[in-house]
Amino acid sequence: MPVIGIPVKLLTERLEGDLTPDELVQHLQHIGCDVEGFATLRRIKCTRCGNIVEITATMDPPVLCKRCGIDYVQHPELRVDLGENHVIRMELLAVRPDMFDPGGLARTLRGYLEQTTGSPEYDLGAPLAHVWVDPAMATTACPRPAIACAVATNVVLDDDFIKELMNLQENLHWALGRDRKHASIGVYDLAATNGKAFRYRPVGRDELRFVPLGYDPQDPAAAITPQQVLEEHPKGVEFARLLAGFEAYPLLEDSDGVVLSMPPIINSEQTRVTDATTSFFIDVTGTNRRIVSRCLNVLVTSLMELQPGINLHQVGIQYGDEVLHTPDFAPQVMELSVPATAGWTGIPMDAVELVELLNRMGHDVEILDPDTVRVSAPAYRNDLMNPVDLMEDAAIAFGYHNIVPTLVPTMTVGGERPIEGVSGTVRSCITGLGWAEVMTLVLTSEAKCFEALRRPPHQAYVSLAHPISRDQTMLRTSLAPGLLETLTVNGHNKYPQRVFEVGETTELTDTQTGASERRAVGGVVIGERIGATEVRAVAEATLRELGWGIRTQGAELPSYLPGRGAIIFAVKDGLEIQVGELGELHPAVLEAFELKHPAAMFEIDLTTLTGLR
Amino acid sequence: MITLRENEYRLLQALAQAPGPVQVAQLAAALGLDQSLVLAAAATLEERDLLVRDEQSYTEYRIDAMGQGFADHGLPERQVVQGLRAAGGSSTIPELPQHCGLNPGEIGQCLRFLVAKGWALRQGKDLTLTPAGQALSDEPGPDEALLAALAQREQATDAELRAAGVDLDAAEALLQGRKGAYRSKARSLRFLEATAAGRQAAPTAQLRRQVNMLTGEMLADGSWRDVDFRPYDMSAGTEPAFPGKIHPFRRVLEQTRRVFLEMGFEEIVSPFVESGFWDFDALFQPQDHPAREMQDTFYVSRPASCELPPTELVEAVRNTHQDGGDTGGLGWGYTWDESLARKPVLRTHTTAATVRALAENPNPPRKVFCVGKVFRRETVDYKHLPVFYQVDGIIIDKHASFASLLGTLEAFYRKMGFDKFEFRPAFFPYTEPSVEIFVWFESKQDWVEMGGAGVFRPEVTKPLGCDVPVLAWGLGLERLAMFRHQLTDIRQIYVADLQWLKEAELCR
Repeated sequence: MPVIGIPVKLLTERLEGDLTPDELVQHLQHIGCDVEGFATLRRIKCTRCGNIVEITATMDPPVLCKRCGIDYVQHPELRVDLGENHVIRMELLAVRPDMFDPGGLARTLRGYLEQTTGSPEYDLGAPLAHVWVDPAMATTACPRPAIACAVATNVVLDDDFIKELMNLQENLHWALGRDRKHASIGVYDLAATNGKAFRYRPVGRDELRFVPLGYDPQDPAAAITPQQVLEEHPKGVEFARLLAGFEAYPLLEDSDGVVLSMPPIINSEQTRVTDATTSFFIDVTGTNRRIVSRCLNVLVTSLMELQPGINLHQVGIQYGDEVLHTPDFAPQVMELSVPATAGWTGIPMDAVELVELLNRMGHDVEILDPDTVRVSAPAYRNDLMNPVDLMEDAAIAFGYHNIVPTLVPTMTVGGERPIEGVSGTVRSCITGLGWAEVMTLVLTSEAKCFEALRRPPHQAYVSLAHPISRDQTMLRTSLAPGLLETLTVNGHNKYPQRVFEVGETTELTDTQTGASERRAVGGVVIGERIGATEVRAVAEATLRELGWGIRTQGAELPSYLPGRGAIIFAVKDGLEIQVGELGELHPAVLEAFELKHPAAMFEIDLTTLTGLR
Repeated sequence: MITLRENEYRLLQALAQAPGPVQVAQLAAALGLDQSLVLAAAATLEERDLLVRDEQSYTEYRIDAMGQGFADHGLPERQVVQGLRAAGGSSTIPELPQHCGLNPGEIGQCLRFLVAKGWALRQGKDLTLTPAGQALSDEPGPDEALLAALAQREQATDAELRAAGVDLDAAEALLQGRKGAYRSKARSLRFLEATAAGRQAAPTAQLRRQVNMLTGEMLADGSWRDVDFRPYDMSAGTEPAFPGKIHPFRRVLEQTRRVFLEMGFEEIVSPFVESGFWDFDALFQPQDHPAREMQDTFYVSRPASCELPPTELVEAVRNTHQDGGDTGGLGWGYTWDESLARKPVLRTHTTAATVRALAENPNPPRKVFCVGKVFRRETVDYKHLPVFYQVDGIIIDKHASFASLLGTLEAFYRKMGFDKFEFRPAFFPYTEPSVEIFVWFESKQDWVEMGGAGVFRPEVTKPLGCDVPVLAWGLGLERLAMFRHQLTDIRQIYVADLQWLKEAELCR
């Protein structure tokens, strides 16, 4: 999860009263923020493109601007230090993007601390602009059909505001946009467009040219085609995968042909927000209307929280004959049962108490009858899919720390799995003989599981599609590799060494998932003057304590010295089952595991023996 | 008739044969025993009036390195006298080495003895023989006599020296202040002598054997009654012994299992290889959730594909994802892809086991748990392994609530030895409300997150045919073992040092 730094000043100046840092952290934890602590960040601004980056005390200042690419070594005057900023660092709570910025976070805290009540109201001006969506945007040639837009006027730009806007945009891309895939945001200088009429349409790969953000408009070569953007521009290269398979690319322009952006890749330099900007045109494009609309609502309400003087206007979005107006702050309405909420959360409450709790979480609530309330949830909440989500809101408002823990009153009978009982018996038998239990990784490799043990490779094992290392490419089919690797790393300890493991092996099976675990026990002894007789005795003891006799039959098994390997049969009542093998390890096996002393090993399949998994 | 232990018996016999007192040292040599053992045996015999002890003090003299030189070459002051004679009776001190075999240092050191003995007079730098010096004969003085006597012996007693004609008092007075000439030490001689009773008892005394080990034979023939057992030093340390032990982490896992079994939970299992359906989809995990991506989850190439459960269930899950289905929710609003549900993965949590158990039998009341390995595509380092353990549990009960979830978790951690908890809001796609459990580690003086829990969303339970609240949790276990055994590296659990396995106490 990404970590954000919320400037303490911006947060606390939006709250009533003076909270100590400890109180602030505690309140934040109680509403679900994963607070890491306080930190001081230094802000560095690129005066060429306006980009602001934050660095910690241990980081060096950037040598080039990540957005426009300017080299600060050659142009040190373009890099401006905006000074230090005291922040609270916390992990982003992906489901609550409305708490990603100091404005939105303060809004939630004010409700929680009862400084405000119910859903905040945001004035929304008459539609100022209109976007025509080309029906071709819904086709497979260019499948990015959804767009939501807003116009913000009377914007006063300062560095704090710009930085918060940039952070919010980036974090919304991560949380709601899944890295711009589902939603991507653009913010433009309204004055650089005709301000009225816009088009959202597919554009041919080389149909037109525009200067992408960060390129120098004075440079005639800076105007490039959409295809060149993907091939050349750093952001184009980074996000080209989002347009893989597209025959044409999405384009947002005004009706005079001024390009605003090529979503979800890059904005144009021409419509870039500058220090002189006083009005924004904002768009969110994406794969479905619900997500882009929610994303826009989160963004613009947070902007209103950060700068209450902004005048926000709707934009008409025309999909064919249908015209929608965004942003749409109509609340999400859900009915909620009071007894169900009390039962689900275990917090005793009546309708009035539930209303109080939900008011504190920013909801408007109406009591329909003593058992039912109607909740109008604010339009910036993105996580309310089901009445249980409101129940959680009520529980958070009540405070998890205030809930009285109870136990379910119903009696149930517990019981262990039989194979765990068998495994326990085996462990007590072999530890009783003085051997040490080890636990080794079930991930291994063909090299260890087959080659090093001189065992012929077979195909009945689970193989990883994208292993993370050469040592871990498959699930083990035998305990031997882990046991012998344990000895490899214990060369510095006293000999002889005796270790065993009771654990799972995995085989391909004809089951729903295609693979199942077996339970096995294996052990190995290493040291001078040791031999197969000792492991045979341990195998015999193990079988005996499980109610079986043993018969071993010499066999040429590749892991053992010729003439010193055997198959283990479990014997009972005239019945004989082949359950494992033992022997003195072949010197080539010892070499493969870098062992410097002779060793003897046994392995018994407890699943074969007991029929239990 | 008396009965004696071996050493006492042999000592008494030896003394009875001797006509008078015998030195302890001689007895020790004769009996082949250490003197301390002879004295110990003597103490017992003395208590029974079978012998008496006597002690005589004496002084022991030994010559020292410088004294040996005096004995070999004569005292330096005597050499000076001879030198002065050769020089005609007087000389300056600096010129003196020309007349005798001494260096200026040796001359300097002997001057005060030369003058004290009255052999020469010193005036400034001049030395002149006195008449006594002129007349000095070769007859050795008492000091010279002592050194000469000592030079012939390893050591000598005061009595021996006097017997040899040495005037010890005069010699010691003369040699006072000549460090390194000889050494003397006060010593005592211990004698033992049988009493009359001892002499009388010796011929008929019975020997009582002393043995190290009690044997089966002694028990069989009763001879243990006639012997003494040599006492051991029972305060002495021994080689450390270590039992064969189950693994320290196994003890945490077994304790975890025991706690849930005690609380009435039924133990369940599910396979390591799991379909995307059970690992993610049935838990309402959106199909584009980052946790499902290749870099976080192990997908397997063999087996290639998993079978899905009956169509009815698959359709219910599909509808829940797409538009909420019958769950009262909105769903994720995308087109659910069955092929992703068929993809086999190594299970990323044991919630796959509990949700399967819920699907198999959604009828309350049920409590089940699973302690098992889970897999995440993590690069190995001190904090991360691609395989680790979790305990997952669910409670299916019409009386279940978020409050009883917190109570159950608290009961678990109390039984695991913790007494301070904190429950903080959290988010998981499949539970609502969701909570993270923090326990207070006294040793760390900090809250440590142990795992997540919540009440399964209707989007999880309804498609599986369950209409009552289902409480669910998934808790990490390696951390418990690491804190108990102060491990700083998670790899120490799975790539264990055998010495650590031996030494890790069972009580932890």
